[in-house]
Amino acid sequence: MRPVLAPGKLFIALGLLCLLACWLSLALGPVSLPLLDTVRACLHLLGVPVQGQGLEQAEMIVGQIRLPRTLLGLTAGAVLALAGVAMQGLFRNPLADPGLVGVSSGAALGAAIAIVGGSWLGGLPPMLEPYLLSICAFLGGLGVTALVYRLGRKDGQTSVAVMLLAGVALTALASAAVGLFTYLADDATLRTLTFWNLGSLNGASYQRLWPLLLIATGVSLWLPRRAKALNALLLGESEARHLGIDVERLKRELVFCTALGVGAAVAAAGLIGFVGLVVPHLVRQVSGPDHRVLLPASLLAGASLLLFADLIARMALAPAELPIGIVTAFLGAPFFLYLLVRGRP
Amino acid sequence: MRLSAKVIGFTATLLLHPWAMAAEALPQHWASAGGSLTEWVVAMGGESKLVGVDTTSQHPDSVKALKSIGYQRALSSEGILSLTPRPDILIGTEEMGPPPVLEQIRAAGLKVEMFDSKADLPTLQATLLHLGRLLGDEAHAGKLFDDYRQQLASHQEWVKLAEAKQPAPGVILMLGHMGAKPLVAGPDTVAGWLIAQAGGRNLATQPGYKNFSTEVLAALDPQVIVFADRSLSGDAAIAALLKDNPALATTQAAKHKRIVQLDPTLLVGGLGPRLPASLNGLSQAFFPDAKP
Repeated sequence: MRPVLAPGKLFIALGLLCLLACWLSLALGPVSLPLLDTVRACLHLLGVPVQGQGLEQAEMIVGQIRLPRTLLGLTAGAVLALAGVAMQGLFRNPLADPGLVGVSSGAALGAAIAIVGGSWLGGLPPMLEPYLLSICAFLGGLGVTALVYRLGRKDGQTSVAVMLLAGVALTALASAAVGLFTYLADDATLRTLTFWNLGSLNGASYQRLWPLLLIATGVSLWLPRRAKALNALLLGESEARHLGIDVERLKRELVFCTALGVGAAVAAAGLIGFVGLVVPHLVRQVSGPDHRVLLPASLLAGASLLLFADLIARMALAPAELPIGIVTAFLGAPFFLYLLVRGRP
Repeated sequence: MRLSAKVIGFTATLLLHPWAMAAEALPQHWASAGGSLTEWVVAMGGESKLVGVDTTSQHPDSVKALKSIGYQRALSSEGILSLTPRPDILIGTEEMGPPPVLEQIRAAGLKVEMFDSKADLPTLQATLLHLGRLLGDEAHAGKLFDDYRQQLASHQEWVKLAEAKQPAPGVILMLGHMGAKPLVAGPDTVAGWLIAQAGGRNLATQPGYKNFSTEVLAALDPQVIVFADRSLSGDAAIAALLKDNPALATTQAAKHKRIVQLDPTLLVGGLGPRLPASLNGLSQAFFPDAKP
């Protein structure tokens, strides 16, 4: 498959799209700010001395509400899309999804334990509560993924097929455990759980942003370095081995990056579906299968897609707010179906 | 010199407008994220101050025309700030959230007041007096609470008299949606509190709302079934309930047609102003022989 667009042009186009998404995400919201005020508030936040009336309000909205939200959308979208590429590369299947290795269901289980367990303990101190949920979700994702990886290993070899099946089984098991917690939860806890499972960038704050920023930066710097190895893996495992790639190490890194990245994104924003599946798929149509292009392009596209989805989430029902998982699934699922139908001979 | 001029100006303003300070301190535009809190604000005459309510605020009908700020647990900071006129205060129960959003709203200069939604009278008293202070009419709030307590007390006396004449019936309260898979209310819920206040004996003993198998329902053999349906009302709701749960037909409640309807919005968010009236209805269904 040859690229439809030269890599240089593709990067410029996606870069511009991402910038546009960032700008719209800063400039648009239920509170209508004059364009000039948004610009002035941005400049002021960057340290440029700006004079003017009504700046305080604009700076509060842009600086405290929209900027952390934009950064969260940017990093979560990027890392989810990258994890999607990593999984599709690992399973050598364009229909793979970060959920396959159990990271999403593990995170959901962790969140359920935190939410329901927290209410059994008579509610946690408000200082701790948001962090506990994030930490449990992160650890849950990491734990289940580690288990899937362990089950796939035998005699120093990792069988991707066994990992896939173990992922399916552990996802079912984790869902059953979440179901049990759902059954045991009272009405109010149940609602918290439901909303968490739908994901949201609502209420993003700098304090809760930095772990994700750190991990996302690490993953986005690391994965592109392994682009050549991923390309070799496309040919098949033994072929990649003959080309001098340490395939076992590559698999370990891919699983680890996915667990870390998706775990952190889910911990910060709840479950956001379909980005990891659809974005790499979509980008591959334009860029071709070369991971040296696919990885950075997916990063930009994932970040842009999540920001646009968030714009819909915050504007569609304003002043109320739509969970972003609903928006991404509504955008993603029909597109996925379209790909399925079109791909058939 | 400039300072003293300011002080004189300020003092003069105070003298000229004795209520200037008080009027400034009271929030004029309210956003409410709690069903019964909204009802109480309206009952205290504060409806004109409401600029936005959440999706649990369904009563009285007129508040449905207000802007919706979404579900109380998934509020949006910018959404609330974008209401016109911009609210000075956001009220809600401890279920209101998520917490980071509340922080952002506070940072934007809004007052965020959280109320306890526990279903008991001291909590209600604190809630009403606080609301009254914020609305600038504490006396009215106090009177509302006294009336409320009075109504509940005289209701209790009536229930005692009725219980002397006939034994308290065994009751289950079911919350359903078009009759299907109803959830049975345990004693720790507001629904359980209602049954006990109305003089019924709650046959369910589990905490919270749970699904019961139809066999268990038949075995419990309630004398009265209270049914709160989220989407149907009237005979249609009862017909749907019996159609979807044929085992109920064998119970005493179904045989003697003692299935009572209850508005499900009464069961959310603490004690609301409509509770005493619905208690009367329930008690009359529980004790048909006693005259109120």
